[in-house]
Amino acid sequence: MTSKEIFMIIEGIRDSLYMTIVATLFGYVIGLPWGIVLSVTGKDGIRPQAAVYRVLDFITNIMRSLPFLILLILVLPLTELIVGKTYGPTATIVPLVISAAPLIARMVESSLNEVDHGVIEAAQSMGAGTMQIIWHVLLGEARVSLVSGATITIGTILGYSAMAGIVGGGGLGDIAVRYGYYRWQANILVTTVILLIVLMQVFQLVGSVISVRMDKRHA
Amino acid sequence: MAIIEVRELSKTFRTKENTVEALKNISLDIEKGDIFGIIGMSGAGKSTLVRCLNYLEIPTAGTVLIDGRDLGQLSGKELRELRSSIGMIFQNFNLLMQQTVLNNVCFPLTLHGASRQEAKEKAQKLLETVGLAEKESSYPAQLSGGQRQRVAIARALACDPKILLCDEATSALDPQTTQSILQLLKKINQETGITIVIITHQMQVVREICRHVAIVENGEIVEKGLVEDIFTHPQSHAGRQLVIEGKDPDEWEKEHGTSVGNSPTTPILHAGKVIRIVFSGTSSFEPTIANMILTVGKPVNILKADTKDVGGVARGEMILGLAGDGDVCGAQISYLKEHGLAVEDITESYTRTATA
Repeated sequence: MTSKEIFMIIEGIRDSLYMTIVATLFGYVIGLPWGIVLSVTGKDGIRPQAAVYRVLDFITNIMRSLPFLILLILVLPLTELIVGKTYGPTATIVPLVISAAPLIARMVESSLNEVDHGVIEAAQSMGAGTMQIIWHVLLGEARVSLVSGATITIGTILGYSAMAGIVGGGGLGDIAVRYGYYRWQANILVTTVILLIVLMQVFQLVGSVISVRMDKRHA
Repeated sequence: MAIIEVRELSKTFRTKENTVEALKNISLDIEKGDIFGIIGMSGAGKSTLVRCLNYLEIPTAGTVLIDGRDLGQLSGKELRELRSSIGMIFQNFNLLMQQTVLNNVCFPLTLHGASRQEAKEKAQKLLETVGLAEKESSYPAQLSGGQRQRVAIARALACDPKILLCDEATSALDPQTTQSILQLLKKINQETGITIVIITHQMQVVREICRHVAIVENGEIVEKGLVEDIFTHPQSHAGRQLVIEGKDPDEWEKEHGTSVGNSPTTPILHAGKVIRIVFSGTSSFEPTIANMILTVGKPVNILKADTKDVGGVARGEMILGLAGDGDVCGAQISYLKEHGLAVEDITESYTRTATA
């Protein structure tokens, strides 16, 4: 491997991390409130709103059923509008966020639905309002599950970001497609794959450590 | 004046398939400073009833007045404020499992706008009251059931409530822990004058600390009054099962129609009467039964004898089978009554359950 290629791979790592982390952050900016609304307005939520829930639930399902590669192409005009170009890591963040947000919403919804209803009732009996229950009870008590969900999400987004390499999305996936697939450079292909595996392991490890540290439910 | 007034309260749950009338036309007054028990079997509607008292359940019909204020007329904000004056504890404690004991007790205070420092000081004082001062930085998972309930009590008392609702608060605890929790509640009642409403299916709990009791069966109050009076003269069928047969409500239905006919006492029951006597504190010291036998000159059969603590006073309870004809029975009963004992003829209910 030439030093130029090594430099390119280091840049690939940087771009993959950049896409994954920024997309996850923006994904949560949209997906977290979305998931909260799903959980709160659901049938067993603290403020059931059948109509609101049904609409959101439907939209979530539609967006979740679009394969990422299709979505990537579908939103190209929107990407062009927001970023000004349709290739490279920053442009890839747009479809990544759109794809991650409903996934995150579902993760958040299921985490919050796991919170013991008795504890919510106790908070209501103390006179807690909806926002107070969401903040102190739902998010507070579900935090371990939320972190596990985030760990799964970040891994999925890393995978998606690599997939975007097919259309010049940047990062390790892009390198794997260009050098490994089009030029049959096996050493670069293998290196990028190993690096993707290592990144995934690191995310998983960090996520697991945080959620174990956070969990106070064991004696 | 009653601090809690319930008027013609009904609650109906509707699902697609069926309608369940959980509460039917309940009226109830609970006096300030009282310890009021509501007893009934699971599914009788008592948990729904207690949730109507702070509007966690909204009644289908009827009114609930707390301190003269109709809960149905309050806005959401007013209701939430009022709830801070009604503490509640639960069977499963319902603590925040990811927060320390101290934070759990601080929680209601910070909800209502107390500063972190104020809340902390108040919470530490309350943890001292419930005997858990040294556990403030533990997490609920590290505590025993009894300790968790103590934390829940401290939390429920955080906003200086006037009323404490206890929903099966001792049902998940062993007998010894139940005792200590009941004594704690009694102590808090005596020291602060807080009104306590206790939902339970254990007669022991009612006997131990309640002053008044309501017996709930199938969504209705079938009997209510002073615990003493109901213990001495239960009127309703449910009341008699509770007091005389010593069955906790969950045993009521199971036992209906089952056979206990091979009881060795059965033959004598057909011969005469079965009576139940309740001794008050003083009469326990006199050998009244022995004297009665000497006076009348006929033996009696002691079917059951027990001492129970009713509201802190030891009450002797005895069930006697009286052999012989009506005249002798009459003489025996009037002798006992003359000597100040509460006598109740329970021939019918006793033979029914014994031979059914």
